[in-house]
Amino acid sequence: MNDGLFDQFKTWYEKRHDYARDWKARTGGQVVATMCTYTPEELLIAAGMLPVRVLGAHEPQNVTEPHIFGMFCPFCRDSLAQGLLGRFDYAEGVTLTQSCIQYRQAFNSWRMHVPTVTWDYYLPMPNDVQSPHARKAHHAEVQAFREFLEALTGKKITDEMLQESIAVVDENRRLLRELFDLRKVADPQVTGVEALYASLTAQFIDKREHNEQLKKVLAALPNRNLNRPEGVRFMTIGSENDDIAFMAMIESVGGTIVIDDQCSGTRYFWNESLPEADPIKAIADRYCDRPACPTKDYPNHTRFDHVLGLAKDYNARAAIFLQQKFCDPHEGDYPDLKRHLEDNGIPTLFLEFDITNPIGPFRIRVEAFLETLTEDELF
Amino acid sequence: MITAGIDMGSRSVKVVLLEQINVDSAPQLQYAVKKAHLMMPGELDADQAAERAFSEALAAAGVARDDVKSVFATGAGRKQVAFATEGVTEMTAGAKGAVYMYPNARTVVDVGAEEGRGIKTDAEGKAVDFAGNEKCAAGAGSFAEAMSRALQLTLAEFGEASLKSDRTIPMNAQCTVFAESEVVSLIHSSTPKEDIAKAVLDAVASRVCAMVRRVGIEGEVVLIGGMAHNPGFVKSLKGAMGVDAVSLPDLPEFVSALGCALIAAERQH
Repeated sequence: MNDGLFDQFKTWYEKRHDYARDWKARTGGQVVATMCTYTPEELLIAAGMLPVRVLGAHEPQNVTEPHIFGMFCPFCRDSLAQGLLGRFDYAEGVTLTQSCIQYRQAFNSWRMHVPTVTWDYYLPMPNDVQSPHARKAHHAEVQAFREFLEALTGKKITDEMLQESIAVVDENRRLLRELFDLRKVADPQVTGVEALYASLTAQFIDKREHNEQLKKVLAALPNRNLNRPEGVRFMTIGSENDDIAFMAMIESVGGTIVIDDQCSGTRYFWNESLPEADPIKAIADRYCDRPACPTKDYPNHTRFDHVLGLAKDYNARAAIFLQQKFCDPHEGDYPDLKRHLEDNGIPTLFLEFDITNPIGPFRIRVEAFLETLTEDELF
Repeated sequence: MITAGIDMGSRSVKVVLLEQINVDSAPQLQYAVKKAHLMMPGELDADQAAERAFSEALAAAGVARDDVKSVFATGAGRKQVAFATEGVTEMTAGAKGAVYMYPNARTVVDVGAEEGRGIKTDAEGKAVDFAGNEKCAAGAGSFAEAMSRALQLTLAEFGEASLKSDRTIPMNAQCTVFAESEVVSLIHSSTPKEDIAKAVLDAVASRVCAMVRRVGIEGEVVLIGGMAHNPGFVKSLKGAMGVDAVSLPDLPEFVSALGCALIAAERQH
């Protein structure tokens, strides 16, 4: 049943470049291509800009070979391809906050070879966020970014402007959490695909507009009856996974995705800022405190218990690892995280993702995984 | 009661007609295979291939279509079997069939034309874990077939030839195209065909073994799928897995279809 409740998010996702162009024409503001979800969007919003996260298009491409190695992850290659193909020709700026080294190379190629880029900024966030010096170091970097933006625009970004943008972004996080929390119950009235549309679009739609849409949806959800069997409740684990066709396939063969640990999902919005008189501290600390991605999760592996906690809280019966091919940080975590989940009663399936994915063979694997979980009635 | 299992593989369609029997003196005998029929579809599309293979099997067995209580389908093309009552994946079907034939089987290695996979099963024939090759042909029968063509040998000659070699030549089996160019290089350097055949089968076995290790090698190992007909591959696989024995069904390509027919029969109860 499609009651159209999430159609706006779907349209935004499918026409995200049209939206950004329209936003620019409407507001006269600058658009900034952001790479990685550690980007402190609060600063860009306070500067009157629209942060638009760079996502891939999941199409074959042949433009990245001169710039980055073929053994860089598909997301690196797909992201860079979007820049080189001119899909972000409306974005004046491009910025990366440090996460993994391959993505940094993709960013460097982008800023050097995408002709429409007029400014770029690399924000060197500490990877060792567990260090006692991390917060102070990141505070200094976020402040430096603020000063860069002030010099770029010729306008002061006041503490008041920052507090206001923090409030807008935090509201977005809160509303997304509220939406995701509705998936804890049996027969949830939000599918995994719908939730993914909501969390993905938050990464490139004007937050105020996105918040209004989330409120509308949340208000309508109590009266919704999806009338679909939930089947097996799945968790998805990985990085930048926005392959909607794949997620829809999972939900078409007897499963429902009820929670995720992905930067296309919960890792992006999970925690709000804590109130601070110094808004830069509030912003810097928030990104140090967010659920870690594997590049920022050592020496202690905080994400193992976090992921298990999500699986338990959302009653996930099993988890599917969506591993971007050649993504070393996630692949490094995989054996231990798999063991941690399985030792705690969460069976797992591992699938390796590329720019385009073979839905047919993947469907067979997901169905076989479902059969190992549910086929008791067969025998 | 008769049930049918249809395995729509990427190269051939396998049909097993299974009859439930009751032998008072041998209560463990519950089923008998009424007919096992294989068809190479050629130019037919998948819908027609399933229909024709099933009709041929029924005619050969002398069974009327209405007498078949249930038809279960498996294989890469199982969704195309329009007349199937239900479908199960190759992992579920393979485990079921293998454990029915070899009750102590806990590790099932299935190497067909398109895909190789390792399946861990329990005593009931329920697949509990599996791993398969992802996107390339290496590790599957079609890879061995392509390499035998490069050596200008029939598949049967290819397997036999490899048994005559005791040399080990490392070969990259990640990609059929690259492997074929390696084979061509070996031919140009006058490497005997027997040694090249063994190198190819060792490489396939190594790749299949890597997948099986992902699920773990436990209990009796059964090899199913068309590659079980290749004695050179069987030898290479034993060596790669470090096991003395691999159980080989007489008709290894029918085991998944058998598993399907068994599940169809059990579902009737």
